[in-house]
Amino acid sequence: MKRVLDYIVENRVLFLLVLFVALFVVFAVSVPGFFTFYNLTNMTQYGVELGLLALAEMLVILSGGGGIDLSVGSMLTIVAMIIGVLIGRVGLNPSLSILLGLFAGAGMGYLNGVLVSYTGILPFIVTLASLYIYKSLALIIAVDPRFGPNPMPVSNFPESFYFVGQYRIAGIPFQVLCIFIPVILLLWLLLEKSIFGRYLYGVGSNEKAALFSGINVCRVRVTVYTLSGILSALSGWIITSRIASARPDIGTGYELQAITIAVLGGVSIKGGEGSIGGVVLGIAIITLLYNGMQLAGIHQIWQLGSLGVVLVGSVLLNQVLLARRKI
Amino acid sequence: MEYILECRKIFKSFGGVQALRGVDFTLRSGEVHALVGENGAGKSTLIKIISGALLPDRGDIFYMGQPVRIDSPRKAQEIGISTVYQEPLVYSELSVLENIFLGREIRTPWGNIDWKREEEQARSLFASLGLPHHFLREPMGELSVGLQQLVLIAKALVYEAKVIIFDEPTAILTEHETERLFTIIRKLRDQGVGIIYISHRLEEIFRIADRVTVMRDGEVRGEFPITAVDRAKIVELMAGKLLVEEIARRGVKGDHPLLSVQGLTRRPRFFDISFDLFPGEILGFFGLVGSGRTDVAQTIFGLFRPESGKVFFDGREVSFGSPEEAMQAGIAYLPEDRKVQGLFPIQSVAYNISVAILRELVRRLGIVDVRKERDIAEKHIRELNIKTPNLKTRVYSLSGGNQQKVVLAKWLSVTPKLLILDEPTRGIDVASKSEIHNLIAHLADQGLAIMVISSELPEILKMSDRVIVMHEGRITGVFEGPEKTAENIIRAATGERMAVTGGVGV
Amino acid sequence: MTNTGFRKVLRRREFTVLGLIVLLVVLFSLTTERFMSVSNLSNLLLQLAGTAISAIGMTMVIITGGIDVSVGSTLGMASVVAGKLLVGGYSPFLVLLSALGTGLVIGLFNGTLIAFGNVPPIIVTLGMMSILRSLMYQLLGGRWISGIPPAIRVIGLGKWLGVPISMWITVVLIAFFTYFLSSRPLGRAIYAVGNNPEAARVSGIDLRRTTLFVYAVLGALAGFAGLVYVARTGIVQTNTGSGFELEVIAAVVLGGTSILGGRGTIIGSLLGAFLVGIIKNGMVLLNVPALSEGLVVGVLIILSVMIDVIRARGERS
Repeated sequence: MKRVLDYIVENRVLFLLVLFVALFVVFAVSVPGFFTFYNLTNMTQYGVELGLLALAEMLVILSGGGGIDLSVGSMLTIVAMIIGVLIGRVGLNPSLSILLGLFAGAGMGYLNGVLVSYTGILPFIVTLASLYIYKSLALIIAVDPRFGPNPMPVSNFPESFYFVGQYRIAGIPFQVLCIFIPVILLLWLLLEKSIFGRYLYGVGSNEKAALFSGINVCRVRVTVYTLSGILSALSGWIITSRIASARPDIGTGYELQAITIAVLGGVSIKGGEGSIGGVVLGIAIITLLYNGMQLAGIHQIWQLGSLGVVLVGSVLLNQVLLARRKI
Repeated sequence: MEYILECRKIFKSFGGVQALRGVDFTLRSGEVHALVGENGAGKSTLIKIISGALLPDRGDIFYMGQPVRIDSPRKAQEIGISTVYQEPLVYSELSVLENIFLGREIRTPWGNIDWKREEEQARSLFASLGLPHHFLREPMGELSVGLQQLVLIAKALVYEAKVIIFDEPTAILTEHETERLFTIIRKLRDQGVGIIYISHRLEEIFRIADRVTVMRDGEVRGEFPITAVDRAKIVELMAGKLLVEEIARRGVKGDHPLLSVQGLTRRPRFFDISFDLFPGEILGFFGLVGSGRTDVAQTIFGLFRPESGKVFFDGREVSFGSPEEAMQAGIAYLPEDRKVQGLFPIQSVAYNISVAILRELVRRLGIVDVRKERDIAEKHIRELNIKTPNLKTRVYSLSGGNQQKVVLAKWLSVTPKLLILDEPTRGIDVASKSEIHNLIAHLADQGLAIMVISSELPEILKMSDRVIVMHEGRITGVFEGPEKTAENIIRAATGERMAVTGGVGV
Repeated sequence: MTNTGFRKVLRRREFTVLGLIVLLVVLFSLTTERFMSVSNLSNLLLQLAGTAISAIGMTMVIITGGIDVSVGSTLGMASVVAGKLLVGGYSPFLVLLSALGTGLVIGLFNGTLIAFGNVPPIIVTLGMMSILRSLMYQLLGGRWISGIPPAIRVIGLGKWLGVPISMWITVVLIAFFTYFLSSRPLGRAIYAVGNNPEAARVSGIDLRRTTLFVYAVLGALAGFAGLVYVARTGIVQTNTGSGFELEVIAAVVLGGTSILGGRGTIIGSLLGAFLVGIIKNGMVLLNVPALSEGLVVGVLIILSVMIDVIRARGERS
């Protein structure tokens, strides 16, 4: 028994892979309409948006010190609204608007990072506050004075804007092939191969030792929160393009799902531990679960509830497994 | 019952290192029994066993004539053994009164806390100790450390302590506070409390103690009534007959100092520190814990900003704002507390060895050359004889000694101009110790300037070309050549200011 | 009172918050006509009751160094339970017990996972928040509950001596818990655990039981706030109580309870709740879009915590 547990601790990716395959087989056998090319590729479209946020959460949690970003959903929303308003109401060039939206995401993430690393306020408080601040800003941006004081969605985009979210290349959704997979590869390089990745793991696993090893702890932390902003912004852009509408409540509740996936993927809530492989599998499992439940006719609201259980359950599992080490 | 507390044949070891070998220790009611010895002599291990923080491997403890098992600090407190630590364990946000009574509140019939009676009792306690009591309702955090200690003494009395242990209580007190503490200790003694008093300041011991026990290498080397012993005898017992090994050195000391520190001050940690360090030289820093050695090193390394004074490195005046800058200039620092400040326990052995030199291993675009990383790790594993299944093994699963070596390997892999080693061999077994010493000597021979901070006298004597001794934040002696003797160094470290300073002005 | 004593009073957070409240009241009564009207003020008090009641529990949780973001959905869940039972014609006493019980069970659940499972409070309560939302949806089936019997609505809307009954209840609860925190050994243990867990352990305080206790109390109080909510508004929806957690956390943090643990008072949190309530109320009256509420409250939280952190740094050096 002890050895089995040890194996699970050290081989999270394998464990998740088995879980994924098992789920896949169960759905393929029991849910009609699941095992079709259209459904499987369609599913990945949803996976991208949530996946980018989960990757953002992974980076932030890895950086340790109670790292967590509760504002990813709000950053997604605000970027969606910025892009929407700039294109649909201001009439700005779409590429420029998207670029500005991404910059805004980076800026908001940067602000979170600066508050976390230079003022010493706990990450959950900073990002809880910024969750509401950014959300509120998104609502304010969404107000169209011509139609009264209420926030309104924007949906008059030029046709070219839908390319990212709705087109397919050889049957595979554009955003999967040209955004998600490249992002995963880049992050894999960053975490596994680059000096920044090493520093990130160092800061996350022992902040003091990192400082003594000549690592600039604050800079590493600011960078991951900024990256979190950028990834959320990417997600906001893609989602707007896919649903052909920028809505001021679009990102609500995403933070929970993103955190859940990261933690399920084996990222230790204490920081410094977790791999991109695990998180990608986590994304796949949750996407699969959503899709299967949807096809099986289970109401969407249960996704939320089951996610809460998965979140607490996987942290509990991580803690129990990690507690077996004596550090 | 002659003794209130009696320890018989106490043994304790930590991962193969024998900290206590059959220690006997006794305490009577109404006496002050001083415990002295160099760092690593075993005093603090003994104290931890008596105060319930550690359990002995073997041996018996008798308290009030009965055998006892003290398995937690809580238990010790309950049976009447209280400890006043150098850095008191307090609730800074809560009032002084609560700090005294928390966990042992006086209650009204309704079960409420009876603040009035608590305050009355605290007042009479403070009055009996001759202390003011106007601050009882103030938050503990607003009191000076000296006053906090006194509050904890009052707390010990609430727990009806029959034994109070003072662990270097005066190390961070002002002179006035020290005097007041002594007055109180005498009062406690007269009231029949047994007191164990640990201090490095020998003059204090002669003022306050009735008996003194000298420890060295985990054994008791002598126990005397204070009137039957003098300072020289105690120093001799503390130092013992040291087997000072020789180490072969071939290198030549450079002509110009690599590091020159002038009048460096950071109150209250250290004052007016000046010294030069030459390429190819090993400069030893000796002093007791809290003497400021580590603070000086960390200030040079950029962790803290000095208040005044100058640092010249490699011919330029420098002022590093962070370790990152210091490392880029060519300074490496092996921290004292390896587990907390040096190790990434959940990362691999290879990671831990290479993390400080990653910048040199980068190929382009920030990508690390994994092969080079592996080669370096393998080289150090071989040289330091680190026992690990493979390079990817996570460090937490290695033995303590091997973890120490991994941290050391990290700093040896850096090729700095100045290497600062803070307690380089603490917790390392004897065989590896001399390997590490040879390695340090070898590095100096190659022209590195090395600063060795150590509490182990044999190590300092063996390694250093020159020894600087610090006491309470000041340099109290610089010894070189024939002056560099165990007795000279211990004297300077216990606060006797040296008339002869071996060439360098103090 | 000596000069330094007077300065200490001035330096207390409660005093600053009180000053801010006075300032805002003056400002709003000068710039709007309706602010000082009886109907507006009593409306303000009605809305404040739920926040203030939950803030009592949140103060204790934050004093131990924890957090609970599920307090809004706990309120929501309790109001679903209470609403269903009320419409079903059960006795008010039973309804009160069930609302309290619902909250208590949720709080115990949170507390157990935090104290014994070693899971960070933010994770547990974030998970709990979404679990409760799902359950609420399931219980309501996407519909509203309305038609609450008028007898019970006295708790939410009734007045005595011109002050809402819910506010009287709040005052009683605040008095009781202030007494509890300042005079009962367990109350003081809560501060000790937050201030220095290591020292608390040596003093013989059971860290886990203390932690469990504060989350349970917060749960029960949020459950009661749920009943007050139902009584006041007369309807329950799936999104009842969402965003409420921010208001409660803001009230507590603004009221001077340190997020680092060990410091805080319930009176402070009450004042914090007033401050948040007045800001919200004033914004409505000034026709500032309600949308910017999150913005204002969020910024206030960050500023307030920043002051704490800077203060703590100053003390350390």
